[in-house]
Amino acid sequence: MSQTNRSAGRLGTGLSASIRALEWVSSVLLLAMMLLTFVDVLGRYVFAQPVFGGTEILSAMLALSVFAGLGITNARDDHIVLELFDSHVRRMMGGIYDVLIQGFSIAAMALIAYVLAVAAVEAWHYDARSYVLGIPTGVTVGVISAFAIFSVLSQIAGVILQFRTRDTRRGV
Amino acid sequence: MVTALIGFGVLLALCLMGFRVGFATLIVGFVGFALERGVSSALGMVGQQIVADAMNYNLSVIPLFILMGVFVYRSDVSRDLYDAAYSVLGGFRGGLALATVLACGGFSAVCGSTLATAATMAKVAMPPMKRFNYSDRLAAGTIASGGTLGIMIPPSVPLVIYGTISETDIGLLFIAGVLPGLLLVGLFLVAVAVVVRIDPAQAPVAVPLDPARRKQAVRATLPVLILFVVVLGGLYGGVFTATEAAGIGAVGAAIIALSRGYLRKVGQWRDCLVEATITTSKIFIVIFGAVVFTQFVNLSGLPYDILDYVEAQQMSAMHLVAFIIAIAILMGMVFDALGILLLLVPVFLPALYAAGVDMIWFGIIVVLVIEIGLLTPPVGMNAFVVKSVLPQVDLGDIFRGVMPFVAALCVGLALVYFIPEIATLLPGLLR
Repeated sequence: MSQTNRSAGRLGTGLSASIRALEWVSSVLLLAMMLLTFVDVLGRYVFAQPVFGGTEILSAMLALSVFAGLGITNARDDHIVLELFDSHVRRMMGGIYDVLIQGFSIAAMALIAYVLAVAAVEAWHYDARSYVLGIPTGVTVGVISAFAIFSVLSQIAGVILQFRTRDTRRGV
Repeated sequence: MVTALIGFGVLLALCLMGFRVGFATLIVGFVGFALERGVSSALGMVGQQIVADAMNYNLSVIPLFILMGVFVYRSDVSRDLYDAAYSVLGGFRGGLALATVLACGGFSAVCGSTLATAATMAKVAMPPMKRFNYSDRLAAGTIASGGTLGIMIPPSVPLVIYGTISETDIGLLFIAGVLPGLLLVGLFLVAVAVVVRIDPAQAPVAVPLDPARRKQAVRATLPVLILFVVVLGGLYGGVFTATEAAGIGAVGAAIIALSRGYLRKVGQWRDCLVEATITTSKIFIVIFGAVVFTQFVNLSGLPYDILDYVEAQQMSAMHLVAFIIAIAILMGMVFDALGILLLLVPVFLPALYAAGVDMIWFGIIVVLVIEIGLLTPPVGMNAFVVKSVLPQVDLGDIFRGVMPFVAALCVGLALVYFIPEIATLLPGLLR
């Protein structure tokens, strides 16, 4: 096995393991959201005691779940696309097309990761907290920015793997 | 205004070239904003918008309703829904196609996704229709069209997004979708009846279900009906907020799945949860892009230029909505539901408010137009979904098959446009 194939194999294994980890994290978060909402309603009507600060916990979990899910979606490049002329454009532009599309997606996600990291630092600096439970906003935004950074890395790894696999098939 | 129009042009070009819709919208919005206000302001704005939407409690209804739909979809309840519908309508000519419409309506009531409804019913309804020599055109056309009911009959993800953009009560929007949804089911049934009347060869007579299976199917459908009544009844009665209804619905759907022998393994839970999370993330990245783009469009002054134009022309609310419908139908040929909602609605919001348009009625109108867009070429998303599940069916046949239903949707649109009470009656009783 060549050096290139070995490193592609390692990258592939690492990416799969990371996606599996994200799948578990996002699954647990969504399950917790479902159960929290259910328990909140049950608590309110049956025990006259809703979950204290349930809305804030749910909001934080929503953000975490969305960005954990984005890591998986980005690695699989499973985003919404208008499939109208893309095959024609790909044929016209050749190999550069995928580089352009993927590079654009990575740049956009990097922008999101950057602004989130800045927002996290600012929230931390001003000690911003949620109203009821006092959850530090810096922590929540910090974690979603970490997910976003991870998402960018998984996108890059996904693209490298995609190109390596194609080159190997071509015998490059 | 010119910058915004250039922005729209660039965005359309990028999307047509195959750039991911959410990322393209975000970058165009960011660059446009940066050109007007500088990079530093643009970066701050993007950060604020994304954090605000990612942590928006009202949007947590999206993953929960998607999860509810995934549980129902995976528990194979669609086959019983279909057989139950057939036991009601099987006696009529074209009974299998009529049953498909009714089953799509039933599935929509607990699913909320047009694509999932079309894909599921394609697997369930196509084999019996093929067995009794129904034409591909009628069979596939009915399935693709029936799928569109998924976004009108609550729960509906597009209505949640519309409610968030226009700051309209999501619960009231869901209630508003009930009568138009039932109206569409009725119109689709009429469309099938008309097609079969004109060309009976498209739907030969089928064999009725045996009584034992009929009983079993109706019984198996009851929990789904109960879930729909609990979710919608809770909303209607003010017992739950939309998010709570979604959470209750997801738990109810999980119980239904468990009772049908699904969700007995950890892996099955994980599969459902991951599928719901990925769908949610795809929707959220488009939402992030759209809110950033909307900030740019607002900054450019386009919505207020439109408002000035509407006031200068002394355009009535009805004329304004008709004008927006025309644009939305054109956009529907290219963009999907999210694209239309997120790009069109914010631009016209100031004009709609100023003209005193009932935003609940307008939401239902927009969803109706989106449904037409889901069926019309060149993009007609539902036709492509049916094609992907049934590759042996010619795409041209599917598009020809949906045409009677597009006509039915146009009738539905005209009825809701001229008789707004169809959409506003039920929410009006609550307000």
